[in-house]
Amino acid sequence: MLQFITKSDYLLRETLLGLKRGGWMNWAAVSTVTVLLFLFGTSLQASWQLDKLLNQFGSQLEVSVYLDTGVQAADVTPFIATLPGVTTATPVTKEEAWSGLVRDLGLSDIQGATEQLNGNPLVDEIKVKANSSEEVPVLAEKLKQVQGVDEVQYVDEAVQRMTELNQGLNWLSLGITNMLSLTAIAVITTTIRLIVMARRREIEVMQLVGATTSWIYLPFILQGLTLGIVGALVAWGFITGVQHFIGEMLAQQPEFVQFLASGLQPTPREALLLPMSLLVLGGSVGLIGSLFAVRRFAAR
Amino acid sequence: MSPSSTRSRSSQKPAPATASSGQAHSAANHAATNIIVSLDHVTKTYPNGCQALENLSLQIKRGDFLFITGPSGSGKSTLLKLLYGGERPTTGKVLVNSVELSGLRGNNLSKLRRQIGVVFQDYKLIPRRTVLENVAFVLWAQGFTRKEIHRRLLPTLKLVGLQDKANCFPEELSGGEQQRVSIARAIVSTPPLLLADEPTGNLDPDNSWQVIKILKKLNSIGITVIVTTHDEQLVRQSNHPVLQLRNGRLFQAK
Repeated sequence: MLQFITKSDYLLRETLLGLKRGGWMNWAAVSTVTVLLFLFGTSLQASWQLDKLLNQFGSQLEVSVYLDTGVQAADVTPFIATLPGVTTATPVTKEEAWSGLVRDLGLSDIQGATEQLNGNPLVDEIKVKANSSEEVPVLAEKLKQVQGVDEVQYVDEAVQRMTELNQGLNWLSLGITNMLSLTAIAVITTTIRLIVMARRREIEVMQLVGATTSWIYLPFILQGLTLGIVGALVAWGFITGVQHFIGEMLAQQPEFVQFLASGLQPTPREALLLPMSLLVLGGSVGLIGSLFAVRRFAAR
Repeated sequence: MSPSSTRSRSSQKPAPATASSGQAHSAANHAATNIIVSLDHVTKTYPNGCQALENLSLQIKRGDFLFITGPSGSGKSTLLKLLYGGERPTTGKVLVNSVELSGLRGNNLSKLRRQIGVVFQDYKLIPRRTVLENVAFVLWAQGFTRKEIHRRLLPTLKLVGLQDKANCFPEELSGGEQQRVSIARAIVSTPPLLLADEPTGNLDPDNSWQVIKILKKLNSIGITVIVTTHDEQLVRQSNHPVLQLRNGRLFQAK
């Protein structure tokens, strides 16, 4: 324990000294990491939110089957449930649908509304879940052929396109993240290497007086780690700031936009996952960069 | 201390008996543990073909004080480098504290170096650290506790007479003072063996004598001291054994 305290004392001091000597190079390293992690974090956030937005349009696996007037959902459901590619089939009676709609519209007087329209204008509906999104169009065709089915609706192509777009964006951001990671590693390597070079006399003396390799190079590796983590924290700060800003802008928008934006609020899980992934990526970039920097010297 | 406590062998003086070789075997074993440095038929040829040392054998006992003289380029620095693992012998064996150096790498070499203090001709002080930090640096590097470091610093600085300059930077000191910082740094971890490579090389006679006096004091508390120098005057003034290196070979000079 005592030895650990002695060690952390020494390591912290040396790490701080190294950072002090790094000067402006530290800024170069931190800002590169910040840019990398800001883009990474933003795209991560964007892809999460796009996912949620798509889910708001309804499940891509769900097909709504509207029956002819007078046909009972309970009569058709058992047959539909046996069709290939169907996971579940849930009947929704027109009474249930009507009361739900009336509630959504904000009307309190169901009776009055029904009378005004000369009865419930809706028909029975069956919500069918498909096995996979590819099967949805085929299944929809089949469902249309079923006796008593009036109309079939499923999430249309536009949403599908958006899903594809989301996937494309994910690939793009993965590519950019990779490239920027390499850049950040290169900058950190250069920064640490410059500090190592500036202190090579000290390192030589340390080697001559019997300091172990890890003892000599651990402060440099901690330095790299610090640069990465500071970059991550700054990036997180920026992302949080931007989120706040967008949130405030949306608050002044019409209701519909606000409804769409309600999915933009990060869930508690995401609120924790984002800084964690930033720290992990930033830390690894710093660690790898500094390991590259000292590897050549340590090998001697 | 007598000249006979150190034996040297060269190709010109083939294998005179060492102090122990003629006696009983158990006595030889006892003597072996008492030997701190042993070179056995060591040859060092640099990659560029320059032969620095040729078939050199030498044994140094604990507590000895030994001068190694010779003109520059005779291999003095190479000899010391072999002892602290700065260079490896081309052939032959180098043992320090009964550990063979040629097989040592990485942390094992670091551990051995902790038993050897080295004073360099060019001091090798760290420019942006004070005298105190330069000396403490060794202890930090070896993982000593803060308390232990504080306990050792002042007595060591007093020994070399620099207690008043503890917070000066190396460039604010004279050459002699810088060399004494270098000595303090070499001995602060109390190594049993002290190597001094031309410690008086850049100093005037007064400072040189002061340095030698410090080295003698260290020897009197039991540290084995090996000093290389080309200063014949200095060697003549002291009464310690002297070996001479000429063209990579050792000769007993005194």
